Amino acid sequence: MKFNSRLNTHTLTNQGSAEPKMRQKLIIFAGTPGSGKTSIIKYIIQELKNDFKLFFAKFDCLQTSDNERIAKEYKIPTVKKLAGELCPDHYTALEIPKIIRENQDKDIIILETAGLCLRCSPYIKEGLGINVLDITSGDPSRYGPILTQADVAAISKGDLISQAEREIFRAKVLKVNPKAKIVEINGLTGEGAIDIVEYIKASSCIKKDKKLTLKHSMPSALCGYCYGNKIIDEKEEQKRASAGKELKNLIPGLNCGKCGFKSCNEFIRAVLDGKAIKEQCPFIKQKVANKNN
Amino acid sequence: MPINKITILPGINKFGRKENFEKIDIKKGEVIAIVGRTGAGKSQLLYDIERLAQKDTKSKREILVNNKTPNRELRFNPKRKLIASLAQSMNFLTDISVKDFLQLHLESRGKKARPGLLKEVIQEANKITGEAILPEMNLLNLSGGQSRALMVSDVANISVSPIILIDEIENAGIKKEQAIKILVEEEKIVLIVTHDPSLALNADKRIIIKDGGIVKILNTSLKEKGIAHYLNWIESYNLEIREKIRKGQEIKNIEIYCEPAKFKKEI
Repeated sequence: MKFNSRLNTHTLTNQGSAEPKMRQKLIIFAGTPGSGKTSIIKYIIQELKNDFKLFFAKFDCLQTSDNERIAKEYKIPTVKKLAGELCPDHYTALEIPKIIRENQDKDIIILETAGLCLRCSPYIKEGLGINVLDITSGDPSRYGPILTQADVAAISKGDLISQAEREIFRAKVLKVNPKAKIVEINGLTGEGAIDIVEYIKASSCIKKDKKLTLKHSMPSALCGYCYGNKIIDEKEEQKRASAGKELKNLIPGLNCGKCGFKSCNEFIRAVLDGKAIKEQCPFIKQKVANKNN
Repeated sequence: MPINKITILPGINKFGRKENFEKIDIKKGEVIAIVGRTGAGKSQLLYDIERLAQKDTKSKREILVNNKTPNRELRFNPKRKLIASLAQSMNFLTDISVKDFLQLHLESRGKKARPGLLKEVIQEANKITGEAILPEMNLLNLSGGQSRALMVSDVANISVSPIILIDEIENAGIKKEQAIKILVEEEKIVLIVTHDPSLALNADKRIIIKDGGIVKILNTSLKEKGIAHYLNWIESYNLEIREKIRKGQEIKNIEIYCEPAKFKKEI
């Protein structure tokens, strides 16, 4: 345990070399696939790029090339982050410190994530959280923290329905999130982008020596299925869960990537599936070596 | 807040050139047609007015209300909104009865229904659609014509606003003349995007749009109003024939009725 805590402190120290910005903003866009996040972000980048140094990070589950398109079109640095086997919002939270560390010279970091299960809340207290909400996707009361914790609710595709239904939708959004600032957007024409830009400019900055906090806790992920169990059976699930926990105690949880996997959890799954050996983790290897000596 | 006039200040067209007019004043009681080719930017002008643009839309136009810059609250809060709009879209998406939908819309505008209002809204809608809407019907089961008729009546009776924007009502499969009659009350400002010559010539003025910019403003001449009248005539004859065809009748000759004089002529 002592080993673990020492390493954890280590990760939190600032490793950036570039001069850190005193006033940096972290803007998080979340919304279901196809709601129009990328389209509106393009217009927002267009509005901001002449006055601010921007960075764009695209989080997706399996595949995306949006970041390359944006890099090419607007000449700003971007990165693609694929969650793969991980819950996309857990993964986002894991990656945020790295992104900030590597982009200390930027004024505004724009992060797009597909907060898929609606239970997740990828937003942080210190930045602006924007939920892009497709007006055709049903009753807003079904949404969890992705909407209830958002600072801005950007409602897309309003042109597909009548003013009456738009107004009803707006009232329903305000019922689940009374503090939300509502913007009606159109990803095709860029309508509403200017309003979001105003909110971005007015939003508070993150402080370099202060840790960021999630607005809402992530869903818990503790069962055997989280460790890759596929057999629907209570005993199998428990077996996998305890094997997973056992391994988890051996590794530092740094997500350093030295084992060849994006995260420790993914590595654990691979070991339990027999696709990797636990000595691929340099820390376990070290431990084993220490024991033998 | 009483609205006496709105003013459009010039923005830019698709090519970034400034629109060639000083300002356009639209006064209470005026009906303005917006005409131009498909894709010319007619709906953009409606959009600019709907959100009371402050050089913050694609066109960079500025809209003044009673000669003043409107405040933010007026622009975005539906409870304070000055503008009711009837867009081109004709779909409903909410799984709910007609009656509950109207009730919900009233609430979202922060109003209470006076007794009988919802019934009147539906009655008025039924004047402009051939197939009757019943209060218990599911919104999703309404036909295109019924949906549109309900929207028209909603705009006229629930979203009661001093400014009314209408986008291409002629393509809706409803009784156009009746719909306009319900929407266009006195003392309101009405803007209609249209391709329909009789609607355009029935307006007081028309704004001509090309390449995203306003290129001309015409006052409807007396002669044009006469022509509009004649077109209405042809229109009603057209509707009459349509009804006959729908009923399975055979059409044998052209008959034109001149309504006001009750005069019938065979050609």
